[in-house]
Amino acid sequence: MSTLKVENLSKQYGDVTALEDVSFQIEDEFAVLLGESGAGKSTLLRCINGLTDPTEGSISLDDEPITGSQTEIGMIFQQHNLVDGVSAYLNALTGSLNRVSMLKSMLQWQSREDKLRALEALETVGLLDESHQRVSQMSGGQQQRVGIARALVQDPRLLLADEPVASLDPSSAETVMGYLRKAAKEHDVTALVSLHQVNIAAHFGDRFIGLRDGRKLFDVGRDELTPELIDDLYGSVETVGLADQEKTVEEALDAIGDDPSEGAAEDAQRGIEA
Amino acid sequence: MSAPPSEGDSLAAYFGYGEIGDSPAEQKLQDMKRRKTKRRLWMLAGLLATGLLFYASLRVIGFNLAELVGQLDQFYEALLEYFPPTTYFGIPFVDLGAYVSFMIEENLILTVEEGQIVWGAMFVTMAVAFAGTVLGLPLALFFGVMSSERVIPYPFNFVFRGTMSLIRAIPGLVWFLILIPLAGVTPFTGALAIMVDTTGYLGRLFTDELEEIEDGPIEGIRSTGANRSQIVSFGMLSQVFRQFIAWIAFDLEHNVRAAIGLGIIGAGGLGLELYIQRQTFNYTEMMACIILIFLLAASVELASQRVRSALRDDDDVETSGIIEAFANAPRNILASTMGRRGQ
Repeated sequence: MSTLKVENLSKQYGDVTALEDVSFQIEDEFAVLLGESGAGKSTLLRCINGLTDPTEGSISLDDEPITGSQTEIGMIFQQHNLVDGVSAYLNALTGSLNRVSMLKSMLQWQSREDKLRALEALETVGLLDESHQRVSQMSGGQQQRVGIARALVQDPRLLLADEPVASLDPSSAETVMGYLRKAAKEHDVTALVSLHQVNIAAHFGDRFIGLRDGRKLFDVGRDELTPELIDDLYGSVETVGLADQEKTVEEALDAIGDDPSEGAAEDAQRGIEA
Repeated sequence: MSAPPSEGDSLAAYFGYGEIGDSPAEQKLQDMKRRKTKRRLWMLAGLLATGLLFYASLRVIGFNLAELVGQLDQFYEALLEYFPPTTYFGIPFVDLGAYVSFMIEENLILTVEEGQIVWGAMFVTMAVAFAGTVLGLPLALFFGVMSSERVIPYPFNFVFRGTMSLIRAIPGLVWFLILIPLAGVTPFTGALAIMVDTTGYLGRLFTDELEEIEDGPIEGIRSTGANRSQIVSFGMLSQVFRQFIAWIAFDLEHNVRAAIGLGIIGAGGLGLELYIQRQTFNYTEMMACIILIFLLAASVELASQRVRSALRDDDDVETSGIIEAFANAPRNILASTMGRRGQ
């Protein structure tokens, strides 16, 4: 149970303003961060995680200010950022590095608890049987689930994910998001996840925060997310998932015929998967 | 262009020093002929100089064709000793038994005496290579990691980089000669020379491998709240662990070949045995040593390549066939001894 509070957060890279006066608070929720590429989603997550320092404003977790790389915050990256050459188990175990000394971690003398925690985390994401396999031999979806397991082993109070399913096919994306949701629920952690796919966001999120050009555009609950808000966020994009949800497969296929752009094709496929 | 002279002042015109014609084309023709004449003169001078040097060299080495012809019988006899003939079931063939009996007699491989294993020359060579590799490994790891710009910031990493370059500039053979005052003309000095060589070469391979690692896993480990040395070992070194093992196998292969070469100048093992037999003109025994050297170099190469291709995900390790490994053995032994990497 934890509360993330972001107050008047701004971040500038030279002349470029990545974030401007963003404030919100999330409490024991599965919150989704929406917005175009370059809207500031990654910057916001990196500020919260401590990988980047904000220019102005403050971030606090349970009323404690956040500074530097935080062990209470688990991070899941788009490109999973695992060590390819070693097993899923050892990757998950690196989540416990902050609790052991250099020498002990080199010799893999982590406590039995940590080792079991790593395997339990892999069980949570459905990879217990595969935990001895090398990460490079796994599929993209499985790799991302190992990433979730690593974050869980940290025993965090807050879970951050930066477009965790952006490079996955629709079916793997749904599986990974399902496990992420399950992991957050089982471990009782607040989660903030940035997503591109509006339909996936709508399916899994409790709260939705929309960013546009570094500013907060909306901050709404599950029932308040309307197609109009999405239109506002992305401009008038016809193939955004939420608008298509009512369509039948035939209509979606027709849409491809009308507009043979890649986005339309992907989206139609998502419609079929759903 | 080189049309035969056809008019009066033809010879001078042919060499490009005749009357210059009226039209620009004719003038150019004369000019080109002149250039050609100069080229020919240079060529002639070069040929003369080469001929002179060749003659002088023959004088210095004492070249004597008559002696060569006179010695042909002796060389034929030596050939019969290199490859002693015999017959197996009536079919003429090389007497392999002669090689084997020398290998056993001189204990080139190993023997068991009163329940104790006595290691032969082949294992001395292996021991020089293996001990040298293991001794050099921690140094290579230290220098290799410290040379990486991601661990030690520029320009301080160049202290370590420069040391390795210096080591590599001197071949293993010369390192052996340099280190003789330290431990004598012994296998021990051979292992020390290989240790130094390994530090320079393996360390460099480690550094190159570290240059290619990705930032993602480093950031991933950083996000878990790991400390700096944990980030280096788990985010960086664990990415290249398998590649490091593969390079160690490659280096061991190289070092076995180098140890053979070092043996010839005194570091013991098969190389020394070959040298002794040459000094006493025992050609059959020399050939027995050479055969063992080929066997050792080729089998170490084959083993190392198999290990490396098993370790590498991408099939970028060239695996040579058995015949190729034998054919390449002499060249690779020389290359390794002189400090250049075999292929």
